[in-house]
Amino acid sequence: MGAQDVAVDVLLVLSVACAAVCVLGLLAGRAAIDRLHYAGAATGVPPALIAAAVVVKERGSSAGINAVVVALLVLILGAALTHATARLARGRRE
Amino acid sequence: MNAWLGTAAALLAGVVPCGWVALRGTRLDALVALELATTLATLALVALAEGFHRSSYFVVAVVAGALGFVGNLVFVRFMESEL
Repeated sequence: MGAQDVAVDVLLVLSVACAAVCVLGLLAGRAAIDRLHYAGAATGVPPALIAAAVVVKERGSSAGINAVVVALLVLILGAALTHATARLARGRRE
Repeated sequence: MNAWLGTAAALLAGVVPCGWVALRGTRLDALVALELATTLATLALVALAEGFHRSSYFVVAVVAGALGFVGNLVFVRFMESEL
């Protein structure tokens, strides 16, 4: 098992751990706006870690590029969606 | 079973609590749970594509990432119109 494999495994474990924290936060949150923080966090860290793992494994192939594209899509569109949902939650509160 | 498939399985297991919140919570809670489930499913598709060593499967994850956003946004707009 080389350093590359160890790095990939560490990145994958970290991504699953971050996703698990987000799911636990969703379960533990009291209001929808609290839960939205964790749903929004899941669009940032876990996709970046998984894309990094794919890039480390594939080293510049199309798979790595596609993984980075997915991570950027989830990050950018997820932020927009979180903003729209937060506006909806605030509108319901008022 | 390699590490990628294990990662995909772990991510998909996270969809189950999201479903529970969607069933038990308010409609706004369900929307937030749906957003998180969409993200987890998209990431699982990336892990599955790498786990099966098929680079063409990454297209599914790209499309799911884009269309998941559109689908969730439709729900947000629909619920906004109820206000």
